[in-house]
Amino acid sequence: MTKHDHTDHESGIIDSDCLEAFDHVYAYINGELHDEETRARIEHHLSHCKSCYSRAEMERKINERLKMAEKPSPPEQMKKRLKDLIDGL
Amino acid sequence: MSDSETQQCKAWFSQAVDDCMSSLYAMAMRLTNNSADAEDLVAEAVTKAWKSLHLLQQRERFRPWIYAIQRNLFISQYRKKRARPDTSSYDSLSEGCSGGEIAALLIEQPDDFLSWWANPEETFVNGLLGEEIVRALEALPEAFRETVILVNLEGLAYDEAAEALGVSPGTIRSRMNRGRTLLQKQLWLHAIDAGLVSQDRLMESSR
Repeated sequence: MTKHDHTDHESGIIDSDCLEAFDHVYAYINGELHDEETRARIEHHLSHCKSCYSRAEMERKINERLKMAEKPSPPEQMKKRLKDLIDGL
Repeated sequence: MSDSETQQCKAWFSQAVDDCMSSLYAMAMRLTNNSADAEDLVAEAVTKAWKSLHLLQQRERFRPWIYAIQRNLFISQYRKKRARPDTSSYDSLSEGCSGGEIAALLIEQPDDFLSWWANPEETFVNGLLGEEIVRALEALPEAFRETVILVNLEGLAYDEAAEALGVSPGTIRSRMNRGRTLLQKQLWLHAIDAGLVSQDRLMESSR
């Protein structure tokens, strides 16, 4: 996959493909970009724009880390409380 | 409803609550910052869900539906007790970003950050722990925080998150764009503070 170095982001001059990619990249990474034509355009852009590709990769990595983060577990007493509550409804 | 139908319904309800109990508790903890309040909030949400079950039109939508019940209960009963201030007025991007707004979000990233993330194989995210990212997430303004949590931590689809928060899917997309951009900035600043980005590399990337 060849990506040209898209340094325009840094100078504040951004082309319209980058704008579209930014608007959709989070939905794309989260599997929420359902329009096939838009998805194909975003994938094509990501395969050519290093900055946008890198943003997408970083988002993937952040998502992976978030999935590994520990969630607060419900205490045993709460599980029992809910079971008793539902039994008594 | 016959006794046997009621028992069947209760068995289904009990399983549905069990399936999302961890997420309900995690969400309640994030809302209340207090385990006793979180337990009370979940219990109240479960009770209200059972009483309102006739309003649930599709059982497969139980999860976003009970999230919405819990969140609404929190807003009506618990918010005043919470230490964290309410910063929920962030809907200027309510129905999708305009080109100008998207450009503004893109260029507000620090230049050195942009240069750095153009090297994904060396990305600083590799050096961050999940817990550090969660902490940065919890520092976001409320509207963005709860959207990103529902989508990225709890795994809700955009339409489910929209249902849970009582907004449109377009609003969820906008909040994700904004919330994730803010999160990236927070993580970048944290990475510099934590020494995950070396000064040499910073100087190199800013050239």
